[in-house]
Amino acid sequence: MIRTDVVVVGGGLLGCATAWTLARDGVGVVLLERDQINAHASGQNAGSLHFQLEYRMVERGLEAAQVAAEAMPLHLDAAARWSELGEAFGPSLGVAQTGGLMLAETADQARVLEAKGDLERSHGLDVRLLSGDEIRDVAPYLSPSIVAAAFCPIEGKADTRTAAPALARAAADLGAQVSTRTEVVGLRRVGRGWQVSTRHTDAVGNQVGEEIQADVVLLAAGVWTQHLGQMVGLDLPIIPLALQMNVTARTPKFLPHLVQHAGERLSLKQSQDGTVLIGGGWPARLRRDASGRPRLSERPHLLHDSVVGNARAALRAVPRLAGIPLLRTWVGMTTVAEDQLPVVGPVPGRPGLFLATGGSAFTLGPTFARVLADLAQGLEPTIDLAPYGPQRFGESIDVA
Amino acid sequence: MAEPLTCDVALVGAGPAGMMAALTAADHGLRVTVVDEQRRPGGQIFRQRPPEFPHQPWTPPAGYPWASSLLERAESATDIDWRFQTTALGVVHEERDDGILLATTGPGGSALLRARRLVIATGAFDMPVPVPGWTLPGVMMAGAVQTLLKSQQVLAAERLVLAGSHPLLLLVADQLRSAGADVAEVALARGLPTPREALGSLGAVPGHLSLLGDSARAVARLVAGGVRISPRTVVTAAHGHRHVEAVSLTQVDRQWRGVGQARRVEADALVLGYGFQPSAELARQAGCAMRWDSPAGGWVVAHDDRMATDVPGVYAAGEPVGVSGAEMARSQGRLAGLGVVSDLTGHNVDVELEEADRSARRARRFARVVQRMFAPQREALADLAGSDTVVCRCELVSRGAIEQVLDANPGMSTANAVKLECRSGMGPCQGRYCETTVGTLVAGRTGRPVAQVGHFTAHFPIKPVPLSVLGELDGDVTSGACAHRHHRAEGSQESGE
Repeated sequence: MIRTDVVVVGGGLLGCATAWTLARDGVGVVLLERDQINAHASGQNAGSLHFQLEYRMVERGLEAAQVAAEAMPLHLDAAARWSELGEAFGPSLGVAQTGGLMLAETADQARVLEAKGDLERSHGLDVRLLSGDEIRDVAPYLSPSIVAAAFCPIEGKADTRTAAPALARAAADLGAQVSTRTEVVGLRRVGRGWQVSTRHTDAVGNQVGEEIQADVVLLAAGVWTQHLGQMVGLDLPIIPLALQMNVTARTPKFLPHLVQHAGERLSLKQSQDGTVLIGGGWPARLRRDASGRPRLSERPHLLHDSVVGNARAALRAVPRLAGIPLLRTWVGMTTVAEDQLPVVGPVPGRPGLFLATGGSAFTLGPTFARVLADLAQGLEPTIDLAPYGPQRFGESIDVA
Repeated sequence: MAEPLTCDVALVGAGPAGMMAALTAADHGLRVTVVDEQRRPGGQIFRQRPPEFPHQPWTPPAGYPWASSLLERAESATDIDWRFQTTALGVVHEERDDGILLATTGPGGSALLRARRLVIATGAFDMPVPVPGWTLPGVMMAGAVQTLLKSQQVLAAERLVLAGSHPLLLLVADQLRSAGADVAEVALARGLPTPREALGSLGAVPGHLSLLGDSARAVARLVAGGVRISPRTVVTAAHGHRHVEAVSLTQVDRQWRGVGQARRVEADALVLGYGFQPSAELARQAGCAMRWDSPAGGWVVAHDDRMATDVPGVYAAGEPVGVSGAEMARSQGRLAGLGVVSDLTGHNVDVELEEADRSARRARRFARVVQRMFAPQREALADLAGSDTVVCRCELVSRGAIEQVLDANPGMSTANAVKLECRSGMGPCQGRYCETTVGTLVAGRTGRPVAQVGHFTAHFPIKPVPLSVLGELDGDVTSGACAHRHHRAEGSQESGE
């Protein structure tokens, strides 16, 4: 039996940042990861530090956009925290906030950008509309078909390959225990704390069980959050989502911005290695069992329409990509809540259990980490969590 | 969703396994499309000369008297839709799958083949072994040197050292010498087969005696020609400024660990031949389960007795399921073809299956003996790389960099995690060059077996292509071609399923 203050479940960016934050605060922490550090969504996503409302949030009209904009305080906080982390960690995090552009190719899309900008500015985001000529100056690599773009100077990117492992190493240096190949198989309230049952695969392939006692458990487990919730009688209304990403061969640096599109699914950026990452939320297909339940351990299926659609969207925005070799198209999984807002906060009726998930968990990772670390220590988070907490789903999530 | 089918069976690879599977399926009236990167059928083992070269009768390599007639049958099979100079990019899906979608690109542009079954017969490639200096021009793989000689009729260099452990090395040395090269030395990591090993192999080889005989004759000719053949010797470095000028050879023990001083041999090329590894990227990308089998080449595609993988509708035959030679590939190609036929048409092929199974069993016995005899000592080979030696030559990642990362991240214990952190395996070769070494290094450093360390995930596209190719990946531009061809069986499209 191991005793610790806090158990963090999940070795993605969020879990590693949380473990590091706690260790820095002098809190005893054990991080449990069933696979390898950074092996899933955190290492598979595009690494966009996007703070403008995304295409998926503006495509369904102003009302939906207004709901999505409620997450703006989290985004503004995350922008500041990424910048601090970037300075503290240097190249291993690969933070570059050199500005983001959201493109419009039609007058309609330009109007969406205008309305979106008004909404974002009312929440305190620095975003301004560029005309065609200004765009040619700022981003000569863009297609002449771009008629307007919203520019947000604090947007950018971080390196998804190396960010989470760097934070895990820093956490371990400060005394956190980081356990990989260690799955949580049970979670129950014991006394005033939690007992976490784990199963570790050792070097000869044996499954070794171990019990951990902790005052607080933090769920930072992405698509596995729902599965963990079930262990404590929760049915969380968060939906796993399979998405596709692409990367090209290295090419001389030409694309300093994060590029998104107001009228279709597209995100583009050039990594510090020189490769161009192409995404934007094109769907892949989750594998499901006979009764329709998603099989989270299996790689989702790549969809033909997404392969073609994503390539075309990228080529329309940045024509010079046509001749650059594409090296990989891969798939990964994330989660969203039905209202598209993040899910972060205390789990109702489960004292000492907190979670964070639901879309943009990489972008918002440093903020979620700070919030979870505060909650774990009984501190009041600096952000009002009321709009984002799991309590907003009501009592229906409690199936215990 | 009711797009027209391109064919009943799509096959990737026109080597012995692919040709055999294609002919078998076509003989039973199925519509067959074969995708291959070369300009003619044959694969690597039966690679033919370019059609522009002056015609000379093609002679099959040692031990495969059936090769000529198989090639002839393939080349005259006009009911098969052959797509040469075409690369398979991977399997993609639709919201509701209706058959198998295979993305390809070739001279006619991108195409999406819609088939009811897919047979993967993508062969093998030379196993890379990084030693100091291995990235110098002039270091080549045995398979590549032989390809240059057989197909392009180009001699790779004038004075060569061959080093490795695979019996092919002896045949290549002999071929190089006959073509006029100066073979400075052949270094074999293992000993020459002991009488006991030779005796043990005899029982497994009815039908293969000519192959053993050819190797023995090659050795005899090399020895007679004054070529030094050094058993229990490995190459530990290639030297040179801008090109190979010399190599270091060192004596090794039974575990291929160096004993004694290295000696220097002048040469302008080093040919490495430690064996082959399955070219199974398409199978991996399609989601097929893999199995670690070191003597059979490393990670091989798992399959049942009719060569069906665990992915519905996907079959694999030949080297991707274990490097076992052309004889085995031909048998497995026939099994896969019959498996598809019985699956799609319901025809009773029991008699043919039994016969194919018998010949596969015979071939397997021989393959096992060869695999065991020449199995690479992977740990010793990985240790040939120095700390500065580049392991991933696309991204210039050294052995030292990988080990540093493993030491700094104690929980890191998979090949994929190292790939993500170090970029080893992320470049244009997509990990083909470094996967084996990375896996062995991770296993060595973490004390976990390679089976736990795992392999790199293979992603779409399995060969890099310009982004514009994906943008054009719409339908099958030549899909009419197959349907308009004459095919013998009527109604086969409706049967099955």
